[in-house]
Amino acid sequence: MSQATVAIRPARGFVLPRFLTSEHPFPWLAPITAVLLIFGVYPLLYALWLSLHKRNPATRISIFDPEYNWLKILTDDRMWGAIGHTYLYTIVAIAIELVLGLLIALLLDTDRRGYGVLRALMTLPLVVPPAVTGMMFLLMMDGSFGVLSRGLYATGLLSPSTPILANSSTALTGILIADVWQWTPFMVLIMMAGLRALPKDPYEAAAIDGATPVQAFFKLTLPMLSKIIAIAVLIRGVDLFRTFDYVKVMTEGGPGTATETLTAYAGTIYFKNADFPYASTIALMTLILVVVTSSLFIKIFKVRF
Amino acid sequence: MSFKGFDKQTYIVDSAKAFGSRKISKREFMRRMGMAGIGFSAFSAGLLGNPYRRSLGKPAYAADITLPDDQVKFLKEVGGKYKGATVRYTSEATPPTVVLNQIKDQFTNLTGINVEVEIVPLEQVLAKATQDVQGQLGSYDLYYLDQAWVATFAPDCIDPIQYTKDKPDLAMPGFDWDDFSKPLVSGLAMYEGKMVGIPFDIPIFILMYRQDILEKHGIKVPTNYAEFTDAVHKITEAEKANNIFGTGLQAKSGHYSLECDWTQAVWGHGGSIFRADKTFSGNDEAAIKGLQWYQDLLKNAPAASTTSTWDGQFQMMAAGQCALVQSWDEFFPGLDADDSKVKGLWQPAKPLQSEAGLRPASEAGFGELPNLGHQGGSIMGLSQYSKNQEAAWIFMQWACSKEIMTQCTLAGGFAPMRLSSFADERVKAKAKVMPGTTRHLETVLWTIDNVMASEPDMPLWAGFANNEIPTELGKLTTGQDYGGDAKKCMDAIAAMIDSKNKEAGLL
Repeated sequence: MSQATVAIRPARGFVLPRFLTSEHPFPWLAPITAVLLIFGVYPLLYALWLSLHKRNPATRISIFDPEYNWLKILTDDRMWGAIGHTYLYTIVAIAIELVLGLLIALLLDTDRRGYGVLRALMTLPLVVPPAVTGMMFLLMMDGSFGVLSRGLYATGLLSPSTPILANSSTALTGILIADVWQWTPFMVLIMMAGLRALPKDPYEAAAIDGATPVQAFFKLTLPMLSKIIAIAVLIRGVDLFRTFDYVKVMTEGGPGTATETLTAYAGTIYFKNADFPYASTIALMTLILVVVTSSLFIKIFKVRF
Repeated sequence: MSFKGFDKQTYIVDSAKAFGSRKISKREFMRRMGMAGIGFSAFSAGLLGNPYRRSLGKPAYAADITLPDDQVKFLKEVGGKYKGATVRYTSEATPPTVVLNQIKDQFTNLTGINVEVEIVPLEQVLAKATQDVQGQLGSYDLYYLDQAWVATFAPDCIDPIQYTKDKPDLAMPGFDWDDFSKPLVSGLAMYEGKMVGIPFDIPIFILMYRQDILEKHGIKVPTNYAEFTDAVHKITEAEKANNIFGTGLQAKSGHYSLECDWTQAVWGHGGSIFRADKTFSGNDEAAIKGLQWYQDLLKNAPAASTTSTWDGQFQMMAAGQCALVQSWDEFFPGLDADDSKVKGLWQPAKPLQSEAGLRPASEAGFGELPNLGHQGGSIMGLSQYSKNQEAAWIFMQWACSKEIMTQCTLAGGFAPMRLSSFADERVKAKAKVMPGTTRHLETVLWTIDNVMASEPDMPLWAGFANNEIPTELGKLTTGQDYGGDAKKCMDAIAAMIDSKNKEAGLL
């Protein structure tokens, strides 16, 4: 018996079960493995199993037909529309949040008095549940009494006859505003952590050489932050790909299907049509797209964890 | 004005209570919260409004419940056998459910049976019920079933009449099945000869108009679609500067509310959703006329109509933004609330007559009843998979008994299911301008008895009514697709629906 085992043997004769004193990794990995199997692998396999079935909603009978749902996806225009909206939403949101996040982080990256409070205030939107944020912006964008809508009407940027969320060309922008408001602080936090970790020496050398702040930013800050940016984009990108709350609360995918993302479409098929196999297929397709896109991103930008 | 900590908290709590009980206005509530330093939160809370469906005003239960002695005895003796059981019911926040949730303790006091009422949005009710029946879980003992879902869930519910026969010892004395409105039972609760549940809620389309605006412009109360359209145009034109429109709609893309509006437009123009051969007929000439009429109405309604469900439509009426609405009668009591800025100004009238004539039910498919008053009722269904079936059945009878249903009407002025409730003197006494008014119920009863319309009864209808139809209609009405061409849109829907019905073996 090893010394370590002896050390954790309690006094008064109580002996821990042998598997808890083992030096073999299995007992220590077993709980997390079980959790992963139950909450990760099993649902995934179940979704896969469902996707291989064709369900008759009238009789509720499901028959094994492995090709049916996967072929249906290829010919489903709404599905392709949802893929387009998802990528558009993800790319635009990441771009705006990244630029804004970096700019705000640069502004807040100082030890001057009072900035600590500002940094703390920046994180407040992150603690609001996304569904509540969606509801808040839905009300602010209401065509009749919404504060935001009224402001836009007053400035002439929007006509009262076309409320933001009722117009297929502006509805996605409306949802993006809510997302940007809530998640830009996340980017700020990551960028700020990155900025704080940057070495000072290159900046001192650049200052001696007469570099302007703008030159220092583009020649030093940005290249040194690139790995941090890549990781932030990856984490946020995966999250954006799964966006559901804002769409569900603010537009339900509408008007028409103008803001329907993959998760929103899967939700509609599942909850409204009760077509569980097809909804599972859409969910699996979302997973495949996330994995492929993330892998490509990691490869192209050489992200290392 | 400054606040100490304790004073500030009590001030906020007192103000919130006053706002909750409608003793102070939203404006006053926001002012007070602003003073207390939480202006933004108050702003959000104020905008969120109340949590009840269709924002009809909060039904407040106040009256005493006096059940007949034999029913009290039944509840104590028979219900008492199931003491400790818990009955679970999931429902949308319909007015009767909200009242029921307030008074359920009285049932528990008599029987010892606990009742959990889970109130969630309509879509979630459908999702929860669907998952429950799919897995035959019995998580819920009772289901709230919208009329559009009755066929879908028919196999999962126990026929209450049959259950009464099978278990006579569990039958509540004096329940009186004949007291239920016949059209409601046949149009709402029956599917292929089976009674799926007991009618529990009956919002129905009636005409509502702003008397003052109509009088101001010398317009008589419209009785048919042509007169209505003419009046809507005139009012929009005349009142545009005052931001008042001829009508207000519940045209939110992808939402069931838009499907309800569309259905009424189709029926009112002589069309139907399905033909007798069960093919989709929403793309025939009559139905297209109905949809084109609706497209025209949208130009004469607040722009927010295309993002509004029934809640938004009620808000438009309450805010004085429109003058003529053909929609849910449930709006009416809220319009007469004390804090309503249009109190006493809205009047009820019979649904619009169809100049084109109605399509006979025999020429429509899947049990559809084309008519003038679209009903959006619901039933309470007893789950086949319930693990507390007997206890749930006793609760269901109590909830649907004469006295309780009448109390639901008295609490909020909402239309009852029972004829005795319509005739109840307490209900009649509230037929005047007052909070929870019942002055629209005469029109409602006439509509139920004479011109009630029902959507098709078929297993795929819940999906069609909540997804395919309102989504494609949304593309048309918001300009995402079809270039404003109603026929093109309906042809696309027809192809989609016929194909799905064929695949499911229904065609």
